[in-house]
Amino acid sequence: MIEVAHLTKRYPGRVAVDDISFRVNAGEIVGFLGPNGAGKSTTMRILAGYLPATGGIARIAGFDVATESNEARRRIGYLPENCPLYGEMRVDEYLRFRARLKGVPHSKLKARIGEVKERCGINDVGNRIIAHLSKGYRQRVGLAESLVHEPELLILDEPTIGLDPNQIRLVRSLITSLADKHTILLSTHILSEVEMTCRRVLIIDKGRIIASDTPDRLRRRMEGEATITAEVRGPQADVLNALRALPGVSEVLAEGADAWTRFTLRANREQDVRAALFETIATNGWVLRELHQEAATLEDIFVSLTQADKPGVRS
Amino acid sequence: MSAFLTLWRKELTTYFLSPIAYIVMIFFLVVMGAIFSLLVSVLAEGPAGVTVMNLLFGSPFFWMTMLVLIPLLTMRLFSEEKRSGTIETLMTAPVSDAAVVLAKFAGALSFYIFMWAPTALYIFILYYFSADMAPPDPGPMAGGYLGAILIGMFYLSIGLFCSALTSNQIISAIITFAVMIVLFLTGLLDYVANAEWAQTLSAHLSSYSHMLEFSRGTLDSRPILYYLSGTAAMLFATVKMLEARNWK
Repeated sequence: MIEVAHLTKRYPGRVAVDDISFRVNAGEIVGFLGPNGAGKSTTMRILAGYLPATGGIARIAGFDVATESNEARRRIGYLPENCPLYGEMRVDEYLRFRARLKGVPHSKLKARIGEVKERCGINDVGNRIIAHLSKGYRQRVGLAESLVHEPELLILDEPTIGLDPNQIRLVRSLITSLADKHTILLSTHILSEVEMTCRRVLIIDKGRIIASDTPDRLRRRMEGEATITAEVRGPQADVLNALRALPGVSEVLAEGADAWTRFTLRANREQDVRAALFETIATNGWVLRELHQEAATLEDIFVSLTQADKPGVRS
Repeated sequence: MSAFLTLWRKELTTYFLSPIAYIVMIFFLVVMGAIFSLLVSVLAEGPAGVTVMNLLFGSPFFWMTMLVLIPLLTMRLFSEEKRSGTIETLMTAPVSDAAVVLAKFAGALSFYIFMWAPTALYIFILYYFSADMAPPDPGPMAGGYLGAILIGMFYLSIGLFCSALTSNQIISAIITFAVMIVLFLTGLLDYVANAEWAQTLSAHLSSYSHMLEFSRGTLDSRPILYYLSGTAAMLFATVKMLEARNWK
């Protein structure tokens, strides 16, 4: 559905998108993840046909967004960041205007508008002036607008930004429910959002794609080392030495001054050290109060990929 | 074509949804009404030395009003879209940049003509209530309206271009006003300068004297061409301005 090859966007003195290439297949929900200013919006604007690229090619359903722009645009439902709408119009009026503009035939107009309003839960505000709506409703009007011409592809730029938690949940479930009919590319800087809604993640930083995989697989790649936390009552120095001696443990930190000491271990995930750790403590007659191993979150991956200068997990 | 009509309709509707349009229209009609009553009082004193229509279209009050009102009509067109971000949804719909520019221009021009429409009542009044004198000629009348529309087109297209320059309505209005003032005053150059080039320049550019000509019923092809080509150039520049959308 989306093919991007060597796409580059340069502004005077700054490279916003630096030679990125990726594909999104029909039916996928792909999350575009990156810190603010990473180039997410710029990429999406190029795909939507708003900005011209400096170099490279982007195709939507086989149509080049630069040379066959109108064909490509017909197949895209684009919701820009902050969901811009005409505040002085009424919801129905706006949807009718946009549907006509996008070439929905007159005979289908009413049915299409009815359907997207139903789908986005804005049936009860059709007659209201957009400027008077709450942010959550406005976001849903924006989504309804992007759906009105039955596009094959939805490009949603930060669809949940600025919403309260309830509204976020509503918009998310709406997006998930759209996945059966549409291919979706959504951008966000909220990690949990990607984990909840997307089947694939593209991590972008400083204009480059630094990882592309499912949230699960990305997590597993990070899991070479596990972080284990244990709270133990016993002589701190002895326990520390005993833990360091365990096979597979690379690093142990101790904190806590009272009887209980909290140990944080970095250990090889392949050989689960938890059983050995328990035995060591039991045989020495110390007491164990807490023991758990943290699964790497997407957050860890994100931080390690975007902050360190190390090569990261390229795909 | 249908995209153009949809956009044009939306632009025109938007005028009627904003209070500024009503204020502009009321202001315009008050001024025109005052000019008309002046005209009637001149006529009441017997046969006038000037053409009736010259009084209506050539009045300094009329020009001051035009120079203030045109920026108010055009300042919103692109600036507001840029400020609110709707420019992004607008320019990513399957329509060409040229269609968007033309629709906005057509919307502004339609409102401008709509604003003029009530003044047709003056003609009606002159025809039916001035029993003892000859009614005004249709020629100068048609010429006057044609001039008003031609000059309006040019100035509106200047305003449209200026609103594509900035996301701030006020700045857009001020630039439009400044450009119009410069153009208008260049047209009056022959009042202050005697050099030949100044005379020629002002003869070509003076909307004021063009309007006097039009409302005398004289159709000169030079000013007509000037306004039409000027409008086309401004619209073209606006399209180019939009295409170079490297703004953030």
